[in-house]
Amino acid sequence: MSFTRRELPTIILTACGVLMLLAFFTPFVAFTTIKGTLTAWTIVISATSTWLGFAYMSYAQYRMLQRNPVLTQKIYFVTPFAFFLLFLVVGVSFPGDVSSPQYLWLLSSIYQQVGATVYAVMFFTLASSAYRTFTVASTEAVALLLGGTIYMLRQIPLFPAFAPWLVPLGEWILLVPNVGGGRGAVICAALAALVVGIRTLWGREITMVEV
Amino acid sequence: MSKEEKGSITMWEKLGNIDYRWLYALSLVLMIIPILNPLGLPTIVSEPTKGFYNAIVDLPPGSVVAVSFQGSLALLDEQEAQFIATWKILFQHEMKVIFYSPESDGEIILNDHLGKIVKPEDYGRVYGVDYVRLGYAPLGEPGEAAFSTNIRGVFPTDIHGTALDQIPMMKDINDHTGIDLVIFQHTACTSVEWPIRQWVVPYNMKCITMTLGCCGPMAAPYYPKQILGFLSGSGMGTELEVLSGNPGPGAVMSDAKNFGVLGLLLFLVLGNLSYLGKRFGGKE
Amino acid sequence: MNFWEILGAWVGAFFVISVMTMLWKDNPYFRFGQQAIIGGTIAHYVLFNMKNVINMALIPISKGHVILIVPFILGLLMYTRLFRDYAWISKYPTSVLVGVGIGVMIAGTLRGQIIDQIKATVVDIFTAGTAYDALNGVIIAVGTVTAITFWIFTREHTGALGASAKIGRIFLMVSLGANWAGEEVWYLTQMIGRLIFLIEVFIKGTLLGIA
Repeated sequence: MSFTRRELPTIILTACGVLMLLAFFTPFVAFTTIKGTLTAWTIVISATSTWLGFAYMSYAQYRMLQRNPVLTQKIYFVTPFAFFLLFLVVGVSFPGDVSSPQYLWLLSSIYQQVGATVYAVMFFTLASSAYRTFTVASTEAVALLLGGTIYMLRQIPLFPAFAPWLVPLGEWILLVPNVGGGRGAVICAALAALVVGIRTLWGREITMVEV
Repeated sequence: MSKEEKGSITMWEKLGNIDYRWLYALSLVLMIIPILNPLGLPTIVSEPTKGFYNAIVDLPPGSVVAVSFQGSLALLDEQEAQFIATWKILFQHEMKVIFYSPESDGEIILNDHLGKIVKPEDYGRVYGVDYVRLGYAPLGEPGEAAFSTNIRGVFPTDIHGTALDQIPMMKDINDHTGIDLVIFQHTACTSVEWPIRQWVVPYNMKCITMTLGCCGPMAAPYYPKQILGFLSGSGMGTELEVLSGNPGPGAVMSDAKNFGVLGLLLFLVLGNLSYLGKRFGGKE
Repeated sequence: MNFWEILGAWVGAFFVISVMTMLWKDNPYFRFGQQAIIGGTIAHYVLFNMKNVINMALIPISKGHVILIVPFILGLLMYTRLFRDYAWISKYPTSVLVGVGIGVMIAGTLRGQIIDQIKATVVDIFTAGTAYDALNGVIIAVGTVTAITFWIFTREHTGALGASAKIGRIFLMVSLGANWAGEEVWYLTQMIGRLIFLIEVFIKGTLLGIA
């Protein structure tokens, strides 16, 4: 029983990973074909398991209702299911399915508006946190403040109109010190990803597969 | 402690404890002013935008460009200027374009853009001969690898249900060998490296990217050796409009940003004045 | 504006304002908008992915590409995660997804994010056309090396390593500042987009009737 629950999934994981690497590092067409097939299979697996999202949402809503069974929470419980059904029914009922004018109306009136506004209000959240934390308390804080402020001002047409030097300075910040720091972070993150990836293929790292 | 010392310390503390909602209200008012009364200030084009533009126009007419379009409806305000300017440049310079979407919203946006705003037919482009839309599939990074290896394995048909073998443009194209440039548009900073790993490294493919404003600094380390150019946010979308001579929605956005950031700057100044006042004013 | 456009403007304005009210404080209108978008988003992804399952798996299977039954069944096996006694079965499709993902990632990471980045850092200095470009190349190299030393946690940051890590921290702060600036301007643009919708479409177009 332990073999089918632990070792066999690890063997499958390692085999898939090694086949991908062989496709990259060897000139044999067979491996390239296998890579094309397996990568296409991941798309089918992801698409087929899409209802998991609905299952997890249902469970999360149920737990919230259990913790707080008041009238407002009951309304919050019903709301996502109501909108789920609304979108689903409209999306399959009209000619054109998800391209129908009716479904597009729902998307543009609700989905797009809420999604865009959630990002929009983060301007204020980030601004209020900057008010508290972007102070000249240390060298690093000054670097954070100066780098961020100059690059931000470079992007707003009003400021380069009065201070044209902001343009080359802002670009210099983007393409020189930002690249210096960013490249260091990219290399370190890549090394860490390589290590975790190789450990996972080796069977030493099981967190990604455990349930 | 004297009464004056108590007053000056209290003032610094007050500066550091202003109710956030005043910031919000001030910023909202400042944002509305240029919407009602545009300023029309000039935009200066940056090097990454020039790299993005030149990567397309330096290709000979008839070159094949694959556009991996992850467009999001919620992020149209930020990226629509980039999209529309890019589609216009592609059609103006007679590129053959393959559109495919790793995100569902991408198809909806393309229906709108290519159906109403930038009609390829207005540029003399014919569907199936000069451009094709393959539709949506939840690709992810492995999906991008699959696409570059075997297009028909991922998209057996186009969005109209026509087999790719029956589309004139796609007859001889089934993988990276038939593509001259990849335009990678993404809505998440975690996918900045995908085109590097799946297109540039294995196939030395020419690649340019369209990103959000916060992902531009993350794309900069790969410029210009691995990605030839990138657009970061609506500001660079506006720059592309200016550079290519194709006015679009970016100009309105750029103008309206002019005053909106002043509220934020004021609070940064007040926050730092409060800190410095408390530090050098003898408090704590 | 026709009836559906007017209704769309009202519904859109309701949802935009409901999300913006969270800036004042958490309230039922914001929660309602939040719950609505959760349900709508899940339905949106379910609709599109179901189309993909049909186009990429079920139709090809019916036409004789029987091998595609394998990823389809693997996708269905993902739902065993919902049942505690059978959750271990979902390790099989997860192993395929993780194995393929790691394989395609490792191959590109080694060259694209490590070797080519180091190469670019060194080559930039020696292939610079002007003294200014060479100086920028040196700054990038210093930033890259010192940022990498910041991420060394197996030794204490004292002496030369400490000094290098401190310089690296400064470069990383500039990089973070640029990221923050990019985010702030992004959210500002989103907010302006919502205000343009409220002013142009809702107030001028719908309430005042000015086209």
